[in-house]
Amino acid sequence: MSVLQQQYRNMLNRYTHGKALVLLLALPALLIPTMVLCYIFWQAAPVLDWNFLFGTADGIGFGVTEGIFSQLVGSLLLATMACLIATPFALGTALYYRTFATPWQQQLLSALFNMLQGIPPIVFGLCGLVVLVNLFSWGVSLLSGAVVLAVVVLPLLALNTLATLERIPNEYSEAGSALGLTKGAIILRLWLPRSWRQLLTGLLLAMARALSETAPIMFTATVFSGVVWPDSIFSPVTTLQTHIFYLAQEGNDPLLISIAWGSAAVLVLLVAFFALLARLLPKSGGN
Amino acid sequence: MVADLRHDDFLQAEPAGPLESSQNQPSAVLTVEKLALSLAGKEILQQVDFSLSAIGVTSVIGPSGAGKSSLLRCLNGLESGWTGGVKIDGNDIRQWPGGWDQLRRHVGLIAQKPLVFNTSIRANVCFGLHGWRQRRRADGLVKASLQQAALWDEVADRLDAAATTLSVGQQQRLCIARAIAIKPKILLLDEPTASLDPLSKQLIEQSMLQLAQQIPLICVTHDLEQAQRLKGQVIFMCDGRVIEQAASDQFFRQPQQIETREFLRWSVCDCD
Repeated sequence: MSVLQQQYRNMLNRYTHGKALVLLLALPALLIPTMVLCYIFWQAAPVLDWNFLFGTADGIGFGVTEGIFSQLVGSLLLATMACLIATPFALGTALYYRTFATPWQQQLLSALFNMLQGIPPIVFGLCGLVVLVNLFSWGVSLLSGAVVLAVVVLPLLALNTLATLERIPNEYSEAGSALGLTKGAIILRLWLPRSWRQLLTGLLLAMARALSETAPIMFTATVFSGVVWPDSIFSPVTTLQTHIFYLAQEGNDPLLISIAWGSAAVLVLLVAFFALLARLLPKSGGN
Repeated sequence: MVADLRHDDFLQAEPAGPLESSQNQPSAVLTVEKLALSLAGKEILQQVDFSLSAIGVTSVIGPSGAGKSSLLRCLNGLESGWTGGVKIDGNDIRQWPGGWDQLRRHVGLIAQKPLVFNTSIRANVCFGLHGWRQRRRADGLVKASLQQAALWDEVADRLDAAATTLSVGQQQRLCIARAIAIKPKILLLDEPTASLDPLSKQLIEQSMLQLAQQIPLICVTHDLEQAQRLKGQVIFMCDGRVIEQAASDQFFRQPQQIETREFLRWSVCDCD
């Protein structure tokens, strides 16, 4: 074997070892979540049927009746309301950042939202309990929960909106300015039509995030049972997240645990649906 | 032709006094006095003085970094941190009724890179019009603007097609049509034919010459042949200053300033 061949083989060996090492490190990150998901659906499979999805607890079941429809609707209601509340503020903040803020204000806003994103959601839940539930006397209600969840998803939405608006080239805005368009016209006729898909993507990701939050709504919006459908925005709701939480505490009852697995599977599917939709949306038509 | 003009004659010609031709324009529509602009601590424009007559093309030439594009941005109000005076028909543009937005409707600007909006050809032409009713009833204006921009024949049967489907040259003509549609009183063009094919360049020049019979045009260009073809006035800028302004024929045959002659001969300017 020539020297060159030997060197080539050594290089190949080094490459193969490197590849093996990278695979070794990457595989757990892929395998573990996949295994968890498989396990959830394996455990949930026995209870997943139409009755489970569209049945309700009739207000007395305390989780023992199998239907989760009211929890499903409660989760969706809370997440949707939270996003609807947070979106105008996120958009307003991002527009202020892009149009009027001085460089140091931009740095401040950016740092503030990054910091807010890092605050544990239970802290917001506690604030919501003190201010909204007790001080404002809104009680444990859909509105209290939605406002607290809105605060939780606001940084995510604002940072996404901000990044979306920052991606619009200056030349594009200047082409509008050169035509004598006002700032408002540039926003409405140039920026929003150009970036609505990305904004909607952010909204869907915020929905997914809101659906996966449990702590902020535990003190502010949800009850375990006694409520099927909220009468008004001041009524409490039942949600999938807290449903799983309470059922999981009843570890000795196999029926309740299987319902918890079923609820978990539905919640995972719901979050995955919004996350996937958010990924697919920009590809469905570009600018 | 330019090869002939870039002859040693440039260097040997006798100066006949600076900015002579500009002094012979009593009915100036645009007057720029001591215009200065600094960006990030760097002087971009220094004491720029010139004036333009009511119609015709004024080509602004000069080396890269001379401040040509910045001058256009000041005149259009996209740069607002300048000092000095800019008057249009005797009105200071800083005191323009309705502010900068209204001024920009009066002074159109076409950028070097054609930038069409992500909508139809028709909607692009109407984009600067106020009110959706006006935009919906603008068929006549769309046709006239596209004709003036020498694009009508190519797009007449597909006005509702996406503007992004047009070629780069067509997109630049669409940008011209879009600027014309708001009926500006002055049109500024920043290297409108840079990196375009010869046919598009020719069509745009034709369109510019046609427009110049109605309104004053200021065209920044690096193409000396183009500056000659467009005739009218030529302003030579270097290092943020106007070195020379003269009628095209006089400018290319008898440049007055040594810097101009050097630039025309070697395309470099050493005026620091």
